[in-house]
Amino acid sequence: MLRSLFSRKKQQQEVTFLAPLTGTVLPLSEVPDPVFAGKVVGDGVAILPSADTLVSPVDGKVTHLFPTHHAIGLSTESGLEILMHIGIDTVKLNGKGFTPFVSVGDQVKAGDKLIQFDKSVLENAGCPIVTPIVITNGDMVAEKNVVAKATVQAGQEPLMTVVLK
Amino acid sequence: MVQFEVTVNVEGGLHARPAALLVNCSSQSQSKITLSKGTKHADGKSILGIMTLGVSQGDTLTVQIDGADEQNVATAIQQLLEQSS
Repeated sequence: MLRSLFSRKKQQQEVTFLAPLTGTVLPLSEVPDPVFAGKVVGDGVAILPSADTLVSPVDGKVTHLFPTHHAIGLSTESGLEILMHIGIDTVKLNGKGFTPFVSVGDQVKAGDKLIQFDKSVLENAGCPIVTPIVITNGDMVAEKNVVAKATVQAGQEPLMTVVLK
Repeated sequence: MVQFEVTVNVEGGLHARPAALLVNCSSQSQSKITLSKGTKHADGKSILGIMTLGVSQGDTLTVQIDGADEQNVATAIQQLLEQSS
């Protein structure tokens, strides 16, 4: 019994997410949008950014870049799907204030620049800038641990680890 | 199997929030659900898949539902996509 538990543990794959933004780490429940706060989109964590560049948390592929460039989806080789949504209600900015560095289909490495955004444009439009980072196919996840301390540096420090089923 | 076309009235198109609400509805069903826009198809239970279709407000989607509760799901999905917010 014990042995089978151990051997199973060894086969499990763990994915470490680097912090995709510099800023303050918050639980999803503090995101002012019921769909994210209620984990309807997926489980994860949020960052209140203090700098303006979103980088990739993992090695993967850009599977989705909304035409308005306010949200990006990535897939890892192991099949995890990650959605990062810069700010809340930012779809209404229609792309204003967002500059993407990547396109759909691009391979990215953890730490690569994805999107730059102008915080003042978001704030002037009345959009909260807190950014949810969620796993949209949570059925693959056995365990999620936020390992970051209160504040993180983009691309430098781990944000969370995810153990795959 | 049921198949229908629907014009998406959701403000701003199928971005994260409406996609999540759609998946929330479709994942409660046992049916297989496929959304198609032109030649692109997405699993109706995948948020990222639906967002990747890049559906704007006013676009027409073809929805295919196959399973025991297909009629009920079809009604729910049609309502979700046709409402404006």
